[in-house]
Amino acid sequence: MGNCCSDVGGGMMAIGGTAPSTSAANQNDAADWYFKSRGIQGLFSQIELSFSATNLRDRDVFSKSDPMVVVYIQERDGAFTEVFRTEVVLNSLNPKWITKYTVTYQFEIVQILLFRVFDVDTQFHNVAVKMLKLEEQQYLGEASCALSEIVSKANRSLTLDLVQREESVPSTYSQHRGKLTVHAEECFSSKTTTEMTLKCLNLESKDLFSKSDPFLVISKVVESGISIPVCKTEVLKNDLNPTWKPVFLNIEQIGSKDIPLVIECFDFNSNGKHELIGKVQKSLADLEKLHSAREGENLFLPTLVGHNQNKVLKSKFFVENYSETVQYTFLDYLSGGFELNFMVAVDFTASNGNPRLPDSLHYIDPSGRLNAYQKAIHEVGEVLQFYDADKRFPAWGFGARPIDGPVSHCFNLNGSSNFCEVEGIRGIMMAYTSALFNVSLAGPTLFGHVINRAAMIASQSLANDAKKYFVLLIITDGVITDLQETKDALVKASDLPLSILIVGVGGADFKEMEILDADKGERLESSTGRVASRDIVQFVPFRDVQNEGTSVVQSLLAELPTQFLTYMRSRDIKPNS
Amino acid sequence: METKSRTLEITILSAEDLRTGNTPVKKNAFVVVSIDAFNSKETKIDGEGGSYPSWNDKLVMEMPVQTRFITLQVKYCKGSSSGGEKLVGVARIPVTDFIGGYSPETCLQYLSYRLRDAKGLKNGIINVSLRLKEPLRDCSSQAASAGGIGLGIPIDGPTDFGVVTGIPICSAYPPNAFFR
Repeated sequence: MGNCCSDVGGGMMAIGGTAPSTSAANQNDAADWYFKSRGIQGLFSQIELSFSATNLRDRDVFSKSDPMVVVYIQERDGAFTEVFRTEVVLNSLNPKWITKYTVTYQFEIVQILLFRVFDVDTQFHNVAVKMLKLEEQQYLGEASCALSEIVSKANRSLTLDLVQREESVPSTYSQHRGKLTVHAEECFSSKTTTEMTLKCLNLESKDLFSKSDPFLVISKVVESGISIPVCKTEVLKNDLNPTWKPVFLNIEQIGSKDIPLVIECFDFNSNGKHELIGKVQKSLADLEKLHSAREGENLFLPTLVGHNQNKVLKSKFFVENYSETVQYTFLDYLSGGFELNFMVAVDFTASNGNPRLPDSLHYIDPSGRLNAYQKAIHEVGEVLQFYDADKRFPAWGFGARPIDGPVSHCFNLNGSSNFCEVEGIRGIMMAYTSALFNVSLAGPTLFGHVINRAAMIASQSLANDAKKYFVLLIITDGVITDLQETKDALVKASDLPLSILIVGVGGADFKEMEILDADKGERLESSTGRVASRDIVQFVPFRDVQNEGTSVVQSLLAELPTQFLTYMRSRDIKPNS
Repeated sequence: METKSRTLEITILSAEDLRTGNTPVKKNAFVVVSIDAFNSKETKIDGEGGSYPSWNDKLVMEMPVQTRFITLQVKYCKGSSSGGEKLVGVARIPVTDFIGGYSPETCLQYLSYRLRDAKGLKNGIINVSLRLKEPLRDCSSQAASAGGIGLGIPIDGPTDFGVVTGIPICSAYPPNAFFR
């Protein structure tokens, strides 16, 4: 009777396998947990960096240099910590190192790496690389870059000039110190997922008064002979000829297509003692053959120890459907030439306060401390800039009156009347500061015009078949005045390759803004009855976080690769199209 | 000479939260797509989906150039035979939502609409994807966005040329019943 409390419903669900290919989940669950428990959040991919160099300086007298690379990562406080050393390549000025550095790629932070090349002195050649003291080696040069710079390049290779450390004496030698090339490879790259629909005919009835309630458990057999369950299907009640819902298996989860799988068919019992009806042993490759031959395989029951034969049953097992799809990762799309284009819109309504007074949200502190708007632009822009090829960002303001004119709800931040782009994050900051003193803050707070302008840009890019995905950052201090107009603009733009990040600064109550983020509510509906086809908005109130681990903006950014992948996958756009 | 009609490929994907009265629809929902009274097609019946049916059914229809709306009617069959259908809800897609909108017409567009029942009350959402097979003959997307009417290039983005979706008010119900 204790079974009354057990979760029979839960026990009947399908478990394991991998998600269907239209979902964006593509990580290894166990590793994901490992990293999450150590505070590494966000969409992660393991990247392997390999190194080679050309034209290194020759430091040894009778032979060439014996170079080694040391890799450092920049911590949050700006200091560099050593994380990795390659092996020593003997006697070469154009070395290719073999040992690779594995680093976790996190989209939402800027990961700065520093590479230093040393010439290892002959007396240390038999010492383990870890034990070498760097002060005793000859310094050949260094280079640094952001991890996103490497992965966003088409061939995933970045070549950097090696330079001398700043503090050393300026030398009279030529500055030519050679070049270092860093190449990135994803450890788990595009995964092949198989989708199979399995069915059985003529199963034996194991229950007394009704038919069996069959379900399958698929396990892989490892070298030692032990079988490890990979997934199970749902339970079908009272069915001797069941066809289960499609099962998705990741080939990497299994190992390879030839690894033997054991597929066992059990009869479900709510007391947990499921009875084995029969099993088959096939690899994925065998299952594929079974499908194309449209044949069935007889189930067998292992008999008691002592008899060598298995009892072959009349029940048959079929593979109704078998298909393989490749699930591309975000980095695959980047290699294929896809870009993320950053756009920004700043709220210039009067509720921000007079910019010349220190309590205004727009106050430019002469000591250099960034105000909330500058911080938000900086945090988002610094991450996204690497994914934008030309580094020209459209920048707008809204809710203000330019020098001669009526209130504009979408004016170019650079003051031009023809084009809206500025160069780099610095360009945005400069345009913002100069706009601040060239417009008079007004109101009301309306996003519709800015969203429409961003949607026009995305739409033109779509018409030109460009491989661009747009990210619009709207920074505002207040609640929208015309919620319906904003909803209309969002619904119209919901089918475009566009994501909108709304960051709320200041102390206003942003409860109403959360309606725009469909995670927290329903799908947006326009005044004409059209409903948003996807959720393109994310809203977060920006809080000054100095001591917390992840800032709220970072968790916003962490969602972007998933939104990008969902858009691409649902339209079946491949990286190499 | 302008072409008289264009080929529309519309895939009815799925619907959400369908009800009859206050109870969710149990099964056998299907969709009738009509361009006008004589030009309509039906999807297959979804026996299992209940009030969240999915069809993924692609229908190819000829759409005359002067069409203003495409009507989607979600119905369900009561018995096992096809007699006895009941209307669950209707949505009207203005043609300007996919011609002259943001996406190029030959590009696959995903659209979703609110369904309203015979009394005008909200009754679920329908999801479709569609594309036009052929581009407009003089191919620039700006000409297409003017709807072929020759009003020139819109300055502020695509505008709706006077297409209004009206919702009938039923006098038997109090006004706040419409905002469920």
